[in-house]
Amino acid sequence: MKSWFRSESFSAWAFMTPGLLFLATFTFWPIIYGIPLSLTDYSVITETRYVGFENFTRAFQDHNFIISLWNSLVYVFIVPVIQVVSILMAILVNSRIPGVKMFRTAYYIPVVTSMVAVALIWSWLLGNNGVVNYLLMQAGIISGQVSWLSTSSTALYVLMFITMWKGLGYYMMLYLAGLQGIPSDLYEAARVDGANFLKLIIHVTIPLLRPHILFCTLISIMGAIRVFDEVYILTKGGPGTSTLTSSVYIFQKGLEQFNFGYASALGLIVSVIVGALSVLVFRLNRKGGVNSY
Amino acid sequence: MNPTSRSTKQLITGIRYTIIYFLLILLALFMMGPFLWLLSVSLMPGRNVFSSPPAILPTFIDFDNYVQVWQFMSFPRYISNTVIITALGVVFNILLSSLTAYPLAVFHFKGRNIVFSLLIATMIIPSSTAMIVHYLTIQTFHLGNSFLGVVLPAAVSVFNIFLMRQTFLGVPSDIRDSGKMDGASELRIFWQLVLPLVKPGIAVIGLLEVMAFWNNFLWPIVVLEDPGKYPLAAALTYLNGQFSYNFGWIAAGTMISVTPIIIVFLFTQRYYMEGIAGAIKG
Repeated sequence: MKSWFRSESFSAWAFMTPGLLFLATFTFWPIIYGIPLSLTDYSVITETRYVGFENFTRAFQDHNFIISLWNSLVYVFIVPVIQVVSILMAILVNSRIPGVKMFRTAYYIPVVTSMVAVALIWSWLLGNNGVVNYLLMQAGIISGQVSWLSTSSTALYVLMFITMWKGLGYYMMLYLAGLQGIPSDLYEAARVDGANFLKLIIHVTIPLLRPHILFCTLISIMGAIRVFDEVYILTKGGPGTSTLTSSVYIFQKGLEQFNFGYASALGLIVSVIVGALSVLVFRLNRKGGVNSY
Repeated sequence: MNPTSRSTKQLITGIRYTIIYFLLILLALFMMGPFLWLLSVSLMPGRNVFSSPPAILPTFIDFDNYVQVWQFMSFPRYISNTVIITALGVVFNILLSSLTAYPLAVFHFKGRNIVFSLLIATMIIPSSTAMIVHYLTIQTFHLGNSFLGVVLPAAVSVFNIFLMRQTFLGVPSDIRDSGKMDGASELRIFWQLVLPLVKPGIAVIGLLEVMAFWNNFLWPIVVLEDPGKYPLAAALTYLNGQFSYNFGWIAAGTMISVTPIIIVFLFTQRYYMEGIAGAIKG
């Protein structure tokens, strides 16, 4: 026994115990406990009963939940746009010209600021008498004021735009790290073969960025489906249910109306969808489908 | 090379530079413009953000908004709340993730693969209801309305553990061997010999967590019943609800809340960028 106390195994577990305890409580437990919770009607109001799969049948008949799932899926359309724009940005800031580092920093500022601040700025800019309407009207793009965030046909797209705007710098930096890992003689060789700028990007840059594209696509899908802060601060899901995303709906059911059981069931359904989407992206990437953007 | 071809070459470089700078500046306006506009609103007391034509550039500069909102909002209190929460969060994350990552990087022990696969599994299985279970857990521990309740659910993350493990793998193994030769305990080797060598990794985690805790607004609102305990980001949502038409105050309050984090970022961006880039490997 004494020798075990001096063994590497003992030291290893002694080192890891505090961290593992925290992980068990706040990372593993939510995943495990969500399952039994979803089979009950646990709330703060009534006594808890086991209800079987009632929450799940209720979820698929819940009109608002179906709408929130649909809105979350619509949100995923920012994923390809983010990849295209941030790869182009990364190529731009990879140019070796004086002062380029300053620009990289500038593009990253929205990433480090809080969503509360970002949401506030954009809600003012996008107001009826705001700067965006003014500029668009001056440019002749729109003829009258648009209430961007309180019109059901535009609100979701405007939120998607804000999410993208705040995240672009982050993805740009990831792609920049990828670009800087591409040996420059590859470009030289392609240029000697007579490739132009566009061909260089399609045949050299994109294929070599593939691991980065996979990673960025995955995290932006997760981010899009889990989008919460900007929606909650700016529209709370409205007008009507036009911007109700699944995270906002789960939050409303769980932590505003305290239907913990039902909210857990909704959460499990969303988790399964996110898991399936990640597997799909991995598959597509193996077949080369991700190259299409 | 004859003179004409050299000047054509210079011309082409000139055009290339002009195009690139044009695009860079255009993009900078798009990304930074909204912040500069907020700054200009905050510096013009009494100016309506919805006036037409909109006041994009400041026509005069006055710090009244800052002075008034500072007095009204009891900012020192919110700032100290934020600093306490952020400091607790950073210390927990650095300690727990380095302690957990160290054995995974250097020790040989039974169960290592199991721990590894468990950690990876949590990255694949998403939990959309984590916040609900966290809320119940925090209530069970009677930590509601406390800073610990705000910090503990995010005290350690799998991402940070992998990041630290990557850093520990880069430490030469003879460092540990020499410590053992001198009869030092594992804890002492870790604390006095290894930890000083992984300062860059610690800096990265510290920075990422400073940003995360400083900007977090939702979880504090859920846990803290007393708005007097709110950190800045949460207090700002409160300010918006209270004075939705005192634009200057809100703008100044927002500037006060984002400036510290932007300054931290500007001075530490080299480490920060390394951490972001390392995320793909980790």
